[in-house]
Amino acid sequence: MAKRTKHWAMVIDQERCIGCWTCAVGCKVINNEPAGFWWNRILTAAPGEFGGRSDESADPASDNIDVPHGTFPQVEMAYLPVACQHCDDAPCVKVCPVDATFKRDDGTVMIDYERCIGCRYCIAACPYGVRVFNWGDADHQVDFTVGYGRDYRSDGRLVFTPDRPRGVVEKCTMCVERIDTGQQPFCVDVCPTGARIFGDLNDSSSEVSQLVKEDGATQLLPELGTDPNVYYLPVKSEGTV
Amino acid sequence: MATFESSAAATPGLPAGRRIGAGWFAALGILALWGLAAWIYQLTQGLIVTGMRDEVSWGLYITTFAFLVGLSAGGLIMASAAEVFGVKSVRPLARLGVLTAGACVLVAAMTIIPDLGKPQRVWELFRYPQWRSPMIWDIIIVVVYFVFAAVDLGLMTGRIGKVSRRRQALRVMAYIGLPAAVLLHSITAWIFGLQISRPFWNTALLAPLFVTSAILSGTALIALVALAARRFGKLQLPDETWSALSRLMAAAIAIELFLVGADYLTILWGNVPSERAALDMILPGGSWQWVFWLEWVVGGVIPFLLLVLPRWRGRFGAMAVASVLVLVGVYAFRIELVVGGLLKPLLSLAPGVSIGSASPNAFQLVGSYHPTWVEYAIVAGLLAFLGLLITLGYRWLGSLDREEARA
Repeated sequence: MAKRTKHWAMVIDQERCIGCWTCAVGCKVINNEPAGFWWNRILTAAPGEFGGRSDESADPASDNIDVPHGTFPQVEMAYLPVACQHCDDAPCVKVCPVDATFKRDDGTVMIDYERCIGCRYCIAACPYGVRVFNWGDADHQVDFTVGYGRDYRSDGRLVFTPDRPRGVVEKCTMCVERIDTGQQPFCVDVCPTGARIFGDLNDSSSEVSQLVKEDGATQLLPELGTDPNVYYLPVKSEGTV
Repeated sequence: MATFESSAAATPGLPAGRRIGAGWFAALGILALWGLAAWIYQLTQGLIVTGMRDEVSWGLYITTFAFLVGLSAGGLIMASAAEVFGVKSVRPLARLGVLTAGACVLVAAMTIIPDLGKPQRVWELFRYPQWRSPMIWDIIIVVVYFVFAAVDLGLMTGRIGKVSRRRQALRVMAYIGLPAAVLLHSITAWIFGLQISRPFWNTALLAPLFVTSAILSGTALIALVALAARRFGKLQLPDETWSALSRLMAAAIAIELFLVGADYLTILWGNVPSERAALDMILPGGSWQWVFWLEWVVGGVIPFLLLVLPRWRGRFGAMAVASVLVLVGVYAFRIELVVGGLLKPLLSLAPGVSIGSASPNAFQLVGSYHPTWVEYAIVAGLLAFLGLLITLGYRWLGSLDREEARA
């Protein structure tokens, strides 16, 4: 019997997100990300604000994190965690000249560290700014490897290595090591408020399917038609900061 | 000051001329070697020694690549226009044009190599081509264009083909050359223009704009080479050839500024924040306004006036200055496009985009880019190598003519 393919997706509930960066730090640790690398960032937004469109809300008082939008007492704020959106129509996959960035059947987007030529076309093509490049040799704050600690291959292609080769692009893998063995991505497990929900969109009874179909989960920059597999539940309640 | 009218009798061709001083070759050679040394240094350290980071992830190398691709236009268009449109006045420039085109596109292809994080994997472009990527198509057209220029030059100098067939072959080549040139610049434009992630690039105007700026900078380069050959090599061209170069350049400046202006107006009128963000940095008052001034005034209005005002029109000195300014302006346009498009990310929210190095800050809200000495050295080295190729090629053409004259 053919194994039914998965279609992995993640829903991030902005009403629950408290901007604590635990997911970002957890991501950095488990993936042994070098100093200065962040596969996952928590942006300070206004409720319902996508892409920093100032026509949707008042501007923040400054360009720093954790600064509410608007003027006191009409202030509002929400957090927008952003990592690779694992788009179904991924611009990075379309522009990669050597098929180093590729899409798996389960919807995730991977980078083959052994194929990437380092042209950085994908960085220019990504609307979400989630890709980081190994400009020089990886610089770590500790002198030992943390996290997964070993190479991981998907269909024979090297999609993760703790020792980053210089001159290749990297980004969130949706914790391919974990989802391939039935676990959830690490950011989902470590989130203290349960703001991240992970599941299979091909399973209509899964929580993510329900949230996407019935609870109005939205995508980031949907007008671009990239059709991400990461969805957001915007802050709805008035006066929530 | 010498004017076109005072130039010597119209005898097209490339006569022997006096030797260009050894100083020229020495200077270019040293620059080229210095560039090579800088590249070797970059190979040992990685691209960390450049000023590029994750926000502005393309810099001088890609800018120079786009610029050199544009420079290669003039030559082939000149050679083809003589045949296709019967523009007789530019025929004397055909061989010089094709030589320049081939040299420029060769050095353009070389410019890609130092930009790669893994240059040792460049062969993968041919082993694992991904056909949806505009970059693959650009590499194909660059290779085709170079081979085409080489064959065309071979035909023109009688190195390949039978004498009886050569005339006809050249005609066919001219008809292929023109669309090939348009394709080369269009595909290079589409590398940028198709990207929805960069609103500043994402305009249908980009391909026509690249074709125009290619004709503009290509003509300026041909004019400069011809002027240098006139000065040092005693090249003599009929007045109408100089005048054709001058008029073509002036027209291309006007069309280029019209297209860029139309693009600016569309963005300003539409007032979409993500599109305004990039343009506001370039327009007067923005942090990158020097690009605007270089493009519109130094490389736009001033050379245009030098080429059309009766006071300067027809003077070799004015034409030389105008050509140099045009090249500066077109280079500024490439910087405006490549770097300007990358400065403002779509998700422009604090703390910004991770830039891939820990100091001074791991994040940037607005991109910044300051090329390092390594980038300047490598680019200068490549341009010096281009200068060497053109000078040597020109001498080779001259020596062919002398052989012919003896025979």
